Amino acid sequence: MSSLLRVNWGPQHPITGHLRFILDLDGDIVVNAIPEIGYTHRGIEKLAENRNYLQVVPLVERVCNIDSFNVSLGYVMAVEELMGVKVPERAQFIRTIMAELGRIMSHLYWFAIFGVAAGLFTLIMWPIADRELFIDLAEMVVGSRVTYSYFTPGGVFADLPDEFDKRAAKTLAYFERRIGEYEVIFLHNKLYQLRTMHVGVLDSRKAIELAVAGPSARGSGIRMDVRSDEPYAAYDQLDFEVPVEDSGDACARAKIRLREMKESVLLVRQALNKLPEGPIRVRVPPILPREDAYSRVECGRGEFGIHVVGQGSDRPYRLKISTPSFRNMSALPHMLKGARLADLPIIYHSMDIWPLDVDR
Amino acid sequence: MSSTIEDEIVRDVLQRHQGLVKRIETKRRGRVSIEAEKDYIVEIALYLRDKRDFSQVVSATSFDAPDGDSYAVVYCLWSLSHRVLLALKTSIPKEIPRLRSLTPFFESANWHERETHEMMGIQFEGHLDLGRLLLPEDWTEGFPLRKTFRLQG
Repeated sequence: MSSLLRVNWGPQHPITGHLRFILDLDGDIVVNAIPEIGYTHRGIEKLAENRNYLQVVPLVERVCNIDSFNVSLGYVMAVEELMGVKVPERAQFIRTIMAELGRIMSHLYWFAIFGVAAGLFTLIMWPIADRELFIDLAEMVVGSRVTYSYFTPGGVFADLPDEFDKRAAKTLAYFERRIGEYEVIFLHNKLYQLRTMHVGVLDSRKAIELAVAGPSARGSGIRMDVRSDEPYAAYDQLDFEVPVEDSGDACARAKIRLREMKESVLLVRQALNKLPEGPIRVRVPPILPREDAYSRVECGRGEFGIHVVGQGSDRPYRLKISTPSFRNMSALPHMLKGARLADLPIIYHSMDIWPLDVDR
Repeated sequence: MSSTIEDEIVRDVLQRHQGLVKRIETKRRGRVSIEAEKDYIVEIALYLRDKRDFSQVVSATSFDAPDGDSYAVVYCLWSLSHRVLLALKTSIPKEIPRLRSLTPFFESANWHERETHEMMGIQFEGHLDLGRLLLPEDWTEGFPLRKTFRLQG
């Protein structure tokens, strides 16, 4: 009879972020994995109940600071739905542009960390350096580099600067070439393929059952993307493809994200070309009515849902944030069963889980 | 006459569960909202799952209902084949905050119910593991997202 070894993995950032796994190991095979989350729980939902709806914008951004454009978009959309506010066209396009830049930044950050998990240390240098260019673009528009609070209920707080088009075109052209290089050097790299192919396979039936979100679901052959399922901002006026891969392994999920970055480049270009003139913001009422609204956006990591309940004051009565990382994390015990311990970081990172996003 | 998928779902549910549903509406494309008595939530959810492919619970939440005597509980179910998000709402009395769990039927409801349990103190009957999820193991200060939770500072 073999006896299992119980190992405590974490929570001091053992390549899988601030969380703890309790692992039962048979040799180096994971028999049982229990994720222990909550190490970065900040009680954002409760904090939001004691701030007015505008002060909540910078707060919800902290749920997922790597992808703060998309996260804050979800929140302001819920508030606008409650108030019955219609956002001007130009603001919708600007939001789309910034949301796609956010997606690229989020994916680049993921790509860098995923490289470390796969043992490719060059891979942390390249995407992080390229992400810097997009941070510069965001800084040009917003003034800050990581958490922006750029979207406000009713629109956006500042128009795009004059030079933005030119600078964006330059960055995008460079980046498009760069994605090609990523593919050649990393995706087609034998080492990379050996480490990721047939690792952490999640079939589509199980992915649906576990409600896996975003690129991770699309890597298991599920065509699901809020941008096309329930178009928001200006997505209904733009053409884009939703990449889907069928193999359901870590490699498929990585491919999806690379293909998505390509799509994002095209989306930003399209939106810049079609960018209408007009106001960037409308006035909004000072209180939230006694109703509730649930808004969904497609973050870099997947579907992000925000449930805002209003109670006739300027503060949200209740804010519920449903994050893609939370959903994907709850799928991990299933995915890790039977995997090798050495594959744990790869499986974990292939789901693009962000502990801040899980804990809120 | 063309009827949208949302209207069809509303009609189906009303036909099959007449009397159980307190309120049902479709706010906009891709959204349906159903309010029902707490005892029928599982039955309605199972019907939706089997007949309309609402196979995923993407969110569950609870809050003190404005009337003061009850907690509202809201599940969000997603139908992949119809691309419809359905909010299943109910309210449970504050003295006995219990509700039959959806987890035995929807694996995806598991963590959402665990979180709702520890933050709002809702007992989900039939849930196999309502242990701590986000809060520390030695937490004894009650349920933080209830309005009666004392804030310091």
